[in-house]
Amino acid sequence: MRGKKLVLILAVMLVASLSLFAQASSDSDSYKIGFIGPLTGDNSAYGVFCRQAAELAVNQANANGGIDGKMIELIAEDSEGSVERGLAAIEKLSSSDNIVALVGPVLTGTAFAVGERCQNEGIPMISPSATHADITNIGDYIFRTIVSDGLQGQVAGTYFYDVLGYRNIGCLYVMNDYSKGLYDGMKAAFEAKGGTVSAVETGNVGDKDFRTQLTNLKNSNVEAIYIPNYTVEMAQMLEQAAQVGITVPFLSCDGFSNPDIYALAGDFTDGVIYVAPAPAKESDLHTKFVSEYEAAFNMSPDSFATNAYDATNIIIEAMRSAGTDRAAVRDEIAATKDFVGASGVINFAPNGDLVAYQAIYKVEGTTPVYQGSYSVDADGNLVQVD
Amino acid sequence: MSFFLLILIYTGIYALMAIGQNLITGYGGMLSLCQAGFYGIGAYATAILTVTFGWNFWATLPVAIGLSALFGLLIGLPTLRLNGDYLAIATLGFGEIVRNVLNNWVSLTNGPMGIQRIPMVEIFGFQINPYRKVAFAILVWVFVVALYFIFKRFAKCRLGRALMAISEDEIAAGSMGINVTIYKVVAFMLGASSAGLAGSFFAVYSLSVTPGSFQFMTSVLVLCMVVLGGMGNFKACILGAFIIQFISYLPQLLGVTNLVPAQAKQVFFGLILVVMMVWRPQGILGREKFTYVKKSAKGIQEG
Amino acid sequence: MFFQHFTNGLTLGGIYALIALGYTMVYGILKFINFAHGDILMVGAYIGMFSFNFFRGDAPLGAWTFFSFVLAMIVSAAFCAFLGMFIERVAYKPLRHASRLAPLLSAIGVSFILSNGAAWLWGTQSKKFDYPFDNTPLMIGGVAITPHQILILVVSLILMVVLKLFVDRTRLGKAMRATSLDQDTALLMGINVNQVISLTFAIGSALAAIGGILIAFDYKCYPTLGMMTGLKAFVAAVAGGIGNITGAMLGGILLGLLETFGVAILGIPMGYKDTIAFAILILILLVKPEGLLGKREKEKV
Repeated sequence: MRGKKLVLILAVMLVASLSLFAQASSDSDSYKIGFIGPLTGDNSAYGVFCRQAAELAVNQANANGGIDGKMIELIAEDSEGSVERGLAAIEKLSSSDNIVALVGPVLTGTAFAVGERCQNEGIPMISPSATHADITNIGDYIFRTIVSDGLQGQVAGTYFYDVLGYRNIGCLYVMNDYSKGLYDGMKAAFEAKGGTVSAVETGNVGDKDFRTQLTNLKNSNVEAIYIPNYTVEMAQMLEQAAQVGITVPFLSCDGFSNPDIYALAGDFTDGVIYVAPAPAKESDLHTKFVSEYEAAFNMSPDSFATNAYDATNIIIEAMRSAGTDRAAVRDEIAATKDFVGASGVINFAPNGDLVAYQAIYKVEGTTPVYQGSYSVDADGNLVQVD
Repeated sequence: MSFFLLILIYTGIYALMAIGQNLITGYGGMLSLCQAGFYGIGAYATAILTVTFGWNFWATLPVAIGLSALFGLLIGLPTLRLNGDYLAIATLGFGEIVRNVLNNWVSLTNGPMGIQRIPMVEIFGFQINPYRKVAFAILVWVFVVALYFIFKRFAKCRLGRALMAISEDEIAAGSMGINVTIYKVVAFMLGASSAGLAGSFFAVYSLSVTPGSFQFMTSVLVLCMVVLGGMGNFKACILGAFIIQFISYLPQLLGVTNLVPAQAKQVFFGLILVVMMVWRPQGILGREKFTYVKKSAKGIQEG
Repeated sequence: MFFQHFTNGLTLGGIYALIALGYTMVYGILKFINFAHGDILMVGAYIGMFSFNFFRGDAPLGAWTFFSFVLAMIVSAAFCAFLGMFIERVAYKPLRHASRLAPLLSAIGVSFILSNGAAWLWGTQSKKFDYPFDNTPLMIGGVAITPHQILILVVSLILMVVLKLFVDRTRLGKAMRATSLDQDTALLMGINVNQVISLTFAIGSALAAIGGILIAFDYKCYPTLGMMTGLKAFVAAVAGGIGNITGAMLGGILLGLLETFGVAILGIPMGYKDTIAFAILILILLVKPEGLLGKREKEKV
């Protein structure tokens, strides 16, 4: 009979929570911004970085009086890095919270599923970190403040060939959407120029030991090794590469712009050349953002967090002029022109992709040194813009 | 309300898996930890056949079910003679292999990017849009109810009784003339196929599949549903599916996700598991009793 | 090149072996898969890192850093021993006579609490754990090996021998073996079974802490540190014959070598190395379910 009692208790819990739930969803015309990212689980570090950045943006806006005196509310939901959870999160944000716009999702897989949903419901969505080329092709409500794999990879491949003069490079990537997407993009551009990617090694998500792959690369006579990956994994690779005795230079991606890399990999970062978003010349917004972020959360932001900060600010600006009407907010976001953010000057292409120049940095010791900003023209030629 | 419907849909999808797990674990006493593997096989079968080959969803359903049953046979035939924990480990390994292959076989599964833009389900020319929750919830629950009755039928007849005998004492059951291997493998295949079915529905619900959805944790969750509800009781495992989904979305339901740190929910979930096991290890409803064999069922429970 | 791969595989195997020892210890006595073992290992790594940083202060590399490293190991092992005993008391002991599934699920619950609790307390970022000694690789006949890798191999060998001697030669070890064979009879023979089980958890968890610290130098500290490595180590323990201490060592080393050579020599794409690991596991279980060095248990009717 204990079982029956339990069922009864559960039923009461259910009814009670449903009534609470009905109350929670009443207030609908306030300025609500949703956030979806992995806050727990394997990829939680990236989600937490981005959520904190969005929080910072919202808190700063509220400290300055919000929008017409009304406060902005950020509602963050955990996707646990899975499609299933991500769909539940957007369902909740859209139906019970009635958000105006969404920052996220952080991971590509979730971004596809949630993006379809946002497009269908007409919720403007800006992802700070989903790089897959097809995401913005879902529809006109989907934007991102990160360049697609295609563009970053293209600049990388062309730069490696044209400027650095490499003809034969190796690559080590792991089987996740971010790492593999960058590899695909770089390889296409590098081979279109006439270079060869002669040694390719892969790993799994969550791997920490890359010695086998690195030993193979060491024996492959490549001129340089491209390691597009997240910060922690790159730190592992650099340290272990030194241990197995690799002397050729390493090439990398925007994951390297996270200052954590210097804490984790120390001197092993010396000589790495990486591609990252071009800095904003007109302002010191980036340094300001970093110091404010560090003051608030006691850790340094990575480049995804910087993107999330900008995405949130773009949405807040759009809401200032368009109110809470989702369609009007979308139009405002699409019309964003030369928005000066912490990650640089932001414009959106007609399909919602970020139009940005890519900067090249070379690490000397543990300090990145700016080498110039580039874009690639329609014929695949590298154009230096700064 | 729409969010509540989503929980109902997820409950339905997990209930399909839990019903299968119940036949394997609740009746057969086999500790299997690879429902997520079969779930993934079903989901990818539907995704690949609809997107790459342009099949209709309904045509992919038997393939998804058949394919997961086939893998159930392949993995079950050799491993089911292992007992207890060894079987758990072997099935755990199989589940990890499925995920690993889905993630790496780029030419077939598109690797970590997954497969997007799976077409919606159509029934008699009527499109079941997963954004309109009611129709989809009805669709899933029709299958849950159907599977419930089918599996209950299985469990009540020879198969179920044979399985219970095997789980009580394999050697004694064998000496009574029960073909242990066949019954075990059949139960395993049936359980696997129910997870394949669930996978198909998940694919057309989320309209995209990525390898990340089919992790070891999913298998563990399904097992928790069965144990929490009550082993050997199909109603209970549907209840278990609901309770676990309900708990895991409780902060969202209450609208307190901003107040509670994301990890707190998981810690709470862990606490519930521990407390539940310590307090009531037979699950909420406990094992279902056979009315027409009251005496022997009682004997089994006491023994 | 062959020897470099061999060294890499050997040291990777050393890591698996180190964790597998703890798994095998608990399983050998209780016939129970402690799913939370990997998470205790993670907690051990964090505690070790905090206490190492505390003891070390600002001291440069030298004798003092190594001494504080040893101190940190002791602190962390002691902490985890108590943690393990506490977990056993609260989450497993009440379930000793329940169905086999109950403690398994309870352990999964504990694993959830530990890993998410750690993420809550200490954040999800990887934290660097500085080497307490100069980790410049040594070149031995063209093969690079770091002092840290040597340390892992040495420590796992020492622990294996010590454990083996403890279980085989001491009175307590005898009590453990008796408990493992038949708890009720052991109780009748005057063995305090509760104490023995408690002690088993304490030792297993202390081993996990030492393993955690040694691994964290290479892998850094993060809340899911124990998960995949722990799962693989468990595979190694089963393959070697779970409950068998030498088997755990052998299984670990073998798994490390197979993963490395499957990729390096056979040319299997690295992404599939988990498939290799688990396929080998299933194969071993099929051919020799008791593992490479395990003893066959007779089925009683």
